[in-house]
Amino acid sequence: MNAAQLLNGIALGSLLMVLSSGLAMIYGLRGVTNFAHGALYMSGAYLAYTLSDRLSFWAALVLVPVILAVIGVVLEMVFFRPLQHRSHIELGLITFGLALIAERLVVLIWGEKTLSVDPPPGLTGTTSVLGVDYPTYRLGIIVVALALAAILVMWLRYTRTGLYVRAASQDIETAGIMGIDVNRVSLIVVSFGAALAGLAGTLAAPYVSLDPNMGNSFLIIVLIVVVIGGIGSIGGAMVAGMGLGIIQTVSTVWSPSVAVVVPYVALVVVLLWRPQGLAGKRVS
Amino acid sequence: MAVVLVLGTTLAACGSASSNDSGSDGGDDSTIKIALIPPTSGALAQFGTDAVKGWQVAADMVNAKGGIDGHKVELITKGTDADPATTIRVAKEAVTQDGAQFIGAVMTSPEHAALNAQLAGMGALDFNALGKDDALVGEQCSPNAFHIVQTSSMDLNGLASSIDEMPGDKWAIMAVDYATGHSAADKFTEEAEKAGKTIVSTQFAPLNTTDFGSYITKIKDSGADAVFAVEYGADGVAFVKQAEQFNLSSQVKTVLGFNMVSEPLFPTLGDSIVGYYNNVGYDVNADNDLNQEFVDAYTKANGSAPYYVPADNFLAAETLFAGIEKAGSTDPDDVAAALNDLTFDSIDGSVTLRGADHQLLRPSYLGQVEGSGKDLSFKILSSAEASTTTPEPSADCKM
Amino acid sequence: MSVTTLPDAPPADVVAPRSRRRPGRTLLGAGLIVAVLLAGLSVPYIIKDPYTMGLVLEMALLGLPALGIGFLARHLGLISLGHSAFFGAAAYSVGIAVNRWDLSLTAAVGFAVVVGTLVSLVMGVLVVRASGMGFLMLTLALSMALWQLALQTSFRPWTGAHDGLLINAGADASFLGMGPREIQDPGLFWAGVWVSLMGAALVLWLVGRSRFGVLLEGIRENEERMRFSGYGTFLPRLAAFTLTGVVASLGGALFAVNAGYISPDILGFTRAGDSLIAVLIGGPASLAGPLIGTGLFVWAQAHLNFGGNLHLFTGIALILVLVFLPGGLTGAVQRIARALRKGGSR
Repeated sequence: MNAAQLLNGIALGSLLMVLSSGLAMIYGLRGVTNFAHGALYMSGAYLAYTLSDRLSFWAALVLVPVILAVIGVVLEMVFFRPLQHRSHIELGLITFGLALIAERLVVLIWGEKTLSVDPPPGLTGTTSVLGVDYPTYRLGIIVVALALAAILVMWLRYTRTGLYVRAASQDIETAGIMGIDVNRVSLIVVSFGAALAGLAGTLAAPYVSLDPNMGNSFLIIVLIVVVIGGIGSIGGAMVAGMGLGIIQTVSTVWSPSVAVVVPYVALVVVLLWRPQGLAGKRVS
Repeated sequence: MAVVLVLGTTLAACGSASSNDSGSDGGDDSTIKIALIPPTSGALAQFGTDAVKGWQVAADMVNAKGGIDGHKVELITKGTDADPATTIRVAKEAVTQDGAQFIGAVMTSPEHAALNAQLAGMGALDFNALGKDDALVGEQCSPNAFHIVQTSSMDLNGLASSIDEMPGDKWAIMAVDYATGHSAADKFTEEAEKAGKTIVSTQFAPLNTTDFGSYITKIKDSGADAVFAVEYGADGVAFVKQAEQFNLSSQVKTVLGFNMVSEPLFPTLGDSIVGYYNNVGYDVNADNDLNQEFVDAYTKANGSAPYYVPADNFLAAETLFAGIEKAGSTDPDDVAAALNDLTFDSIDGSVTLRGADHQLLRPSYLGQVEGSGKDLSFKILSSAEASTTTPEPSADCKM
Repeated sequence: MSVTTLPDAPPADVVAPRSRRRPGRTLLGAGLIVAVLLAGLSVPYIIKDPYTMGLVLEMALLGLPALGIGFLARHLGLISLGHSAFFGAAAYSVGIAVNRWDLSLTAAVGFAVVVGTLVSLVMGVLVVRASGMGFLMLTLALSMALWQLALQTSFRPWTGAHDGLLINAGADASFLGMGPREIQDPGLFWAGVWVSLMGAALVLWLVGRSRFGVLLEGIRENEERMRFSGYGTFLPRLAAFTLTGVVASLGGALFAVNAGYISPDILGFTRAGDSLIAVLIGGPASLAGPLIGTGLFVWAQAHLNFGGNLHLFTGIALILVLVFLPGGLTGAVQRIARALRKGGSR
């Protein structure tokens, strides 16, 4: 065990954190398990590939979340809002269908070939931290993710919209009765959640290689993170995401066979011991 | 109830169920039908496309000369997701529906393993130009399967004599978690230790691994100064790129790739791979007329020179055509019999198909990446004849 | 709010409530299943072409787990993504029993069904307290855990990890009197699979119409009330879950014998999703729905998969069915039939 492996864990945890906070927001508000979240992340990474090729990586970092936010608006207006009276399971399965379609569309647009994105100039090479040489780009991911987490928490805590989001996540009906425009809050949350997935995809593009399966492999872990963290708890999802990233990487070093089942075991243990998740609220 | 009665009479009238007309002899034998089943999705799709190109060039060249003994060649191009179950289903469809007698361009070793078990039942022959697992000419061998590509053992034996000349004493092994990866790792360990080197770390990553961070960190921690890497396609790209991000080259003097670095990946990988060693299945500059003819035809058709994937598939086609010529028939059983111990001239010089395990005896090469920018290419460092690289036929192979 | 008690437990639109039961209908249904069973035995005499026969056989094999998924959805309102785990565990068990312990194929199938059932029992203990999304997530997570385990390097000697498992039954292999060549012949293998499928359908039909079935539906509609009325709900749910596990295991075991090769993909996410999609498109509200959906899926896989676009079509089909035809194809047919009956009797 050494500092480099710990940093690997934090870098993975950072990605999981950004991705799962978006998923947790949508889950908390609409009650929908968004199976398309992995597909949004993947689309973000592929868009980042094209944009950093045509413009620059920094342009991609700004534009991709914007594009994904627009996709989020479509998702809310076409599916979540008209179908909000349907059962959550049905909506979840609809997003499952959307994910299948998105995966194929990505292949039709960008092809099957695995693509790779180079880190932006200035973030290539390694930097010495904690006595080890560590890839600068991965340090960059960690910094961006932590900054984002801080901003997100402040937004939820100290702004009026943040207050509405928290209220609606607690109890959407009561929030509506209390005069909060639930549809507007939901629109903000779904598009913001999609934008976060796009940001995670952009950050991941130079980190991993891009293939059409990259969404699926992450999706299940992120779903687990959200459930472990506690439904509707964005903070819980962030902590669980970071924690799982670190635990998984560290246990990979120790024993790869154990590492792969860590998320699943964690899920079962948490749900049996504390069904509402680590930071979830008690059911009244 | 009436339905049951009607069906009952059909039952009685029809006699035996499912008479297995494979239809593989296909009437008057006027065309040679070859089913190509490459992966069309996933990390290996690019190689699948190139495998088909190799067969296409072979078919076009033969058809331009009026076919083999007057038989024209027809390619039936299918696709698979590289899942053995899909491949088998597609192969059965090609044989029974389209009348294909021969199969080519199947990619992975597990697909070939599953296919070998079913070939006799289908009455078709498979020409394997891509799956390198030794078991395919060992316990999984089939009288209907022909192993055109070198096995992992052959390639490893081919580069074994060069290990002690490569800089670095402490080797780390990074291999794909497939049977081929494991057998390559075992074999390399043996050869490296013979050459007086030590193995300081052995790791396996599943196919489609995207984050090699913790593997690379482990290699760095092990103090290795040389790496033997068995990573295919996309995984190879991810590994090389991330090794660059981790600045692995500051510590490691030698990277010996095994089936990792190949020409189509050069533009993606860029200058970071200059100096990498890799086994090379086929020497594009080989000085013989057949090869020149192939390289010209391929380059004309596809705009770039062939590398081992199209070349080995072309060689598979050459093998099949040589067998048909010798047999004077397109019947799979006759062709299989004619191929046993047949020696013929090919793009890889004079090669022999060993009857005992259906391995094609051909040389293996070791190359090193040289040049820069858009002009990266392999320099062939050494070539090893089949007589020195090929193990004796496995006792587990019973034809 | 908690995962395990999401308020959306019975997705009433997906699973249409069942009409009153009459003993006459139970017998009629059972008789119909037996008639279909007998009629279906003649399929290999009608479909002579081995390729098409192979597809029909695949439909029947995948139909077994689909029956189980449909049963859980119909009687308990539980949507499972975990039945590929029982199918896969049984398939792997056949391979391990034959390759490692030299069991005969027939014995291996028995062993595999036992293993698959045990897996479903253990998973059931962990998941049946949950409902709605929690149940779906837990079954998905546990089946993914099994998939990951099968891929582990340490289990390579047993499962073949990423290479998959080739079943070496040997030249003298025999299963129900069939030799190695006959086992792979879909026409000859058909009878055993068809009898298993229809047998399972008959059992699930009778169980669904029994007092136990009534109890399950009571739990589906209002679990609290059942508990207040003095019924334990855990054991009935577990029993129903395990019963569907037995059915799925039977499918996996027979699949392994026929295919002779097991790819780790049969435990994967895609496979789990595919079988659930097939059930939802067919419609879980009737016994035949999941089978029809699976048949359609296998057909689409063989004929619409050009360029690897299968999932583009299944994704679109899934969304269309969920948005416009809740209850799937058979649900829509039932609604139309009911409307016609009402119109006729007026």
